[in-house]
Amino acid sequence: MVLLAIETSCDDTCAAVTEGARIRSSVISSQAAAHERFGGVVPEVASRHHLELVNPVVDAALSEADVGLEDVDGLAVTRGPGLIGALLVGVATAKSLAAATRKPLVGVDHLHGHVAANFLEPEALEPPFLCLVASGGHTLLAGVREPAGFETLGQTLDDAAGEALDKGARMLGLGYPGGPAIERAALAGDPTAFDFPVGMSRDPGFDFSFSGTKTALLYAIRDLDRSEVEERRADLAASFQAAVVKQLIAKLDKALDAGEWPAVALGGGVAANSLLRRRTAELCEGRGLRLKLVPTELCTDNAAMIASAARFLEPARYPDYLEWDAAA
Amino acid sequence: MSIVGFDTATDDVAVALTRDADAIAERQLAPPDGGRPRHASGLIAEIEAVVGEGGGWELVEAIGVGVGPGSFTGLRIGVATGRALAQALAKPLVPVGTLEALARGIGERSEASERLRLAVLDARRGQAFAALFGPGGEQVWAPLVAGPEELAERLRSLARPCLAGGSGALRFRRVLKAAGVAVLADPDPAHRVSARQVCDLAAAGAPAPIESVRPIYLRPPDAEIWLERDAR
Ligand SMILES: [Zn+2]
Repeated sequence: MVLLAIETSCDDTCAAVTEGARIRSSVISSQAAAHERFGGVVPEVASRHHLELVNPVVDAALSEADVGLEDVDGLAVTRGPGLIGALLVGVATAKSLAAATRKPLVGVDHLHGHVAANFLEPEALEPPFLCLVASGGHTLLAGVREPAGFETLGQTLDDAAGEALDKGARMLGLGYPGGPAIERAALAGDPTAFDFPVGMSRDPGFDFSFSGTKTALLYAIRDLDRSEVEERRADLAASFQAAVVKQLIAKLDKALDAGEWPAVALGGGVAANSLLRRRTAELCEGRGLRLKLVPTELCTDNAAMIASAARFLEPARYPDYLEWDAAA
Repeated sequence: MSIVGFDTATDDVAVALTRDADAIAERQLAPPDGGRPRHASGLIAEIEAVVGEGGGWELVEAIGVGVGPGSFTGLRIGVATGRALAQALAKPLVPVGTLEALARGIGERSEASERLRLAVLDARRGQAFAALFGPGGEQVWAPLVAGPEELAERLRSLARPCLAGGSGALRFRRVLKAAGVAVLADPDPAHRVSARQVCDLAAAGAPAPIESVRPIYLRPPDAEIWLERDAR
């Protein structure tokens, strides 16, 4: 089955064509440069860019896959969660493309998409597995027992992990996007130099919180004078990153204790963080579990993962999807 | 020649299908009482309905889409829909100014006669989107965003009588009247954008490459304004 999927929930305009578990094309037009000067994603700016980019991106996905719209068996689109104005551009586009060609349409939950990135080739992972999705928009610990859905074991109570890294990077004057900037700065730093608290460490559940770690960084910076911050920036970055990653690993560890999971998967933009990758690999090795790391371009937002989730969902037939709204 | 036209710049979802300048079907969906506009849920459903009444997409020769100015979200839904339909069906897409369509409706009222037509939409934040047209439909002022006082100031300098309509004309009726502008009576249907006008303007207009069809925002994103303020 050939699917065309569209994803516009945040700041990447994405379209992809898949055939079964195989990606035939996956086009991602990043708007990072447009948001850089604002130090974060601006919803109105994102929505304007999506509208500009969505048709050329769909065209590129179709032509890279060497198919026409008439050749696809169905369409898929992210309905939420995400920025409402951004989602609406993708939903309106997908509904219109599907309606014009009388094709079925599948509405996909963005987080299910991140989980479903693992079902794609090469080395597709089959449930059951435990999946940690961490990005600028979400932090989710998902128990995956079947491909059509997942169980939310834990999620963040405040900032997303990537959002905390972004804010930390801003406090340290490291620029945007913050995750890669912190990681680069941390390379030259000592992760034990500052003892930042690890959130939710006493909490028996699987939820996350990063506000305490963030506040600790703020105070540490405030207690130093400007030249000291300059001098110790690498140590601050390394210690902050270590505290964020430590919490992610601790919750993963706790969830592995609580359930029978033969495999672990990472998703979301923060999954590109090499410290997180290393720590997760160590955890899995120690427990004798399979670790699935999807390529970076499938960790960050993309439409191939949306098509991958759609494969396992019931499509809506024309005209049942015409009145769909986005679900922020 | 059949044309499907629609506009989502205001709170309405306005959709029509015309054939040789006759309206075959026309819909105007207002928001539910106290609710949000039905742009997201209503637009493509209404388009499919009028196209069905007109005999299907095979008979449609062009798509006209209202490009504002107006509600950013509404406009994006309308433009995304128009672009995707044109892309999927390989039909010409014609961008139509929402204020021009509104002015055309005002011009059809008997009160209009030889007066200038002022199309005014409530732009929120105490401002209006406005454009001015002559009796023949020619544009006198390009679309602009302004506060009521600034708009009144510009209107006072007009040498000819002027008739105003639209949500902004209702909202700023007092200021407009004080500036010597006549305003259509409250219940007049010409205060709302009619998609039939979008179809007629599209029939006379030029198709554009779909990537070049974009909303007329007139306002930058707020974040842009804050950034500029910070820089000063
Ligand atoms: Zn995401």
